[in-house]
Amino acid sequence: MSWDFISNLLLASVRMATPLIFLALAELYSQRAGLVHIGLEGLASIGSLVGFLVSLITGNPLLGVLAGAAAGILVNMIYAYATITLCAEQIVYGMAINIFAPALASFIYRVYFGAGSELVQVSLMETLASRMGITANGFIAKLFLDQTPMVYLAYLLVVFTVIYFNRTKSGLNYKAVGEYPKAAATLGIDVIGIKYTASVICGALAGIGGAYLTTCYTTTYVDGNIAGRGFIALAAVIFGRWNAGGVLIACLFFGFCDALQIRLQVGSYNIPYQFFQMIPYIATVVVLAAIGMKKAGPKSCGKPYRKEEL
Amino acid sequence: MKKFLAMLLVAAMVFSMAACAKAPEAAQPAATEETAGETAGETAGETAETAEAPKDGKVYKVAMICDSSISDGGWGMSCYNAMMDAAAKHGWETAVSDSIEQSAYFDTIDSYCTLGYDMIYAPGNQYTDAVLQAAAEYPDIAFALLNGAADTPAKAENGNVSSLLPNATQIGWIAGALAGLMTETGTIAFIGGMELDTTKGKYEGYKEAAAYVAEKAGKTATTLDIVYSNSFSASDKGIEFAKAMIDKGADVFFGDASAVDSGARQAIDEYNAAQGSVKVFDIAQPADLLGQNECIIGSQVTDNSAMVGSCMEAVEAGKLGGDVIYGTLENGALSAGAVSDLVPAEIKDQYNAYIEEMKAGTFMK
Repeated sequence: MSWDFISNLLLASVRMATPLIFLALAELYSQRAGLVHIGLEGLASIGSLVGFLVSLITGNPLLGVLAGAAAGILVNMIYAYATITLCAEQIVYGMAINIFAPALASFIYRVYFGAGSELVQVSLMETLASRMGITANGFIAKLFLDQTPMVYLAYLLVVFTVIYFNRTKSGLNYKAVGEYPKAAATLGIDVIGIKYTASVICGALAGIGGAYLTTCYTTTYVDGNIAGRGFIALAAVIFGRWNAGGVLIACLFFGFCDALQIRLQVGSYNIPYQFFQMIPYIATVVVLAAIGMKKAGPKSCGKPYRKEEL
Repeated sequence: MKKFLAMLLVAAMVFSMAACAKAPEAAQPAATEETAGETAGETAGETAETAEAPKDGKVYKVAMICDSSISDGGWGMSCYNAMMDAAAKHGWETAVSDSIEQSAYFDTIDSYCTLGYDMIYAPGNQYTDAVLQAAAEYPDIAFALLNGAADTPAKAENGNVSSLLPNATQIGWIAGALAGLMTETGTIAFIGGMELDTTKGKYEGYKEAAAYVAEKAGKTATTLDIVYSNSFSASDKGIEFAKAMIDKGADVFFGDASAVDSGARQAIDEYNAAQGSVKVFDIAQPADLLGQNECIIGSQVTDNSAMVGSCMEAVEAGKLGGDVIYGTLENGALSAGAVSDLVPAEIKDQYNAYIEEMKAGTFMK
């Protein structure tokens, strides 16, 4: 196994992990406020489409990302209102978002482009190296310079999240809402307010995760382009033990496994390709079994919060 | 309030999904005009004028199902355009449902059958089971299965299924001959969507033709093992496969994976841009896509429109299926598209000579 193989594999892992990091952080912020959100796939779908459209219309991928975030927030307000204000079942509404939002994205695409069959392509966000007018040669330069600003943002968000949840009063209050909201309320914490804030953050990050695909990764929008990343992100939060650092490692691990199966398929090793395609799933099962399930998530996850109830 | 919100969501979802299917054109005259202009390459007025009047005065309807997008810049787009061309020529109404999941193949076909469509057009071998199941339940509806197997019509108990069968090996030859002539590294690549017989046939044809013409030119052309994305919509996988294959030395690509191929072309274009010149090429199919991406140097073209049109004519004549309609180089259903200026004139001549050999049945003999 040559250094070229390893370095290209690691670079591919970073590319493939980035949208997962945004989505997994979205889930982390939601679950830390006691909201299990299985609708990330739907939020990312609408973020992906809106990001693509705005990038196409304005020619500015950054505006596309912002619009994707706004679209994610907007759609997630349905989930927020239903689960926080109306105390509805979180899993059911998450699934409703998963069905509704991709269909809405497909509908908007058809309305905008009609039933035409032209391949529409947009310009992607420039990498840092490109902005600086330099060519990134070598592994280190490619890893640190040949990335779009969104990649740096993803890693900065991880650092920010670690500090926020562990080193700030506001972060501890936020976590308290996810653990025991009634106790948090007795301390004067605005439980409902924090849950809505969590929904806004979740919607924005999931929308950005989707928009990343169509503004930084692929030049086209295709229905189904989220391809299960919302569910992988859900697994990454559990895998990462509800900590931002752990979530980052989990996302990099999933990205690495996917990149590995692609590179091994290309490797001509005379092994059936199905074996390589199993790698991400086998690795997940093995790692989850190895690290155990002793630590559960935030204790109020999935439970509706009713102020009046004892 | 909770119930109301749930009902509202369900209603919105139903309307959204219903809106995803293109409505019959008679019901949407504005959309018809746009679609006919865009896809048939003619204006709506011209289409109406050139359309053959249905013999019995009935307006026939055809519906297409597709698991990839019709705007994927590849397979889905070409198959959709083929249906639109044939429908414009024969005066049929059309509908399409694209990007559907495997679990929805049968239900989507079933929906169109219950809506009274005369023919279901399913462009892919992967729809075989769903088509046969629906054909058994709807004996009065014709089913046209593009890339269906030769024995599929015989399996339909009501005799209402036709296979449109472009010769996969010859498709591979058309691309492979150009790849073998153009490769400089001696390594070429193929990306598959799903493990279908037709995909494997194209790969084998591509591989053997490239090796043959390269040997004739005094060099070698080795095809990397076929890879599968397991999806027709994961363009990001196409990017990653192409990057990995370029790292392995591949300099000419061909594929059978719809939007995944578009992703691969994006990665190739990015690589060429970084190199400052076009050194890695792609060959498209099944329509002439020259100019869509800088890296495309040629296309394998399948006249699916003529084959779908044959099925329409059969339906108008009261015959619902039972045929295997072959598409070959010899009968003109398969051909080579325009070749890019990136291909030197000398190689163009050699390539055209090989295409003539293929048509004459003397290639590799």
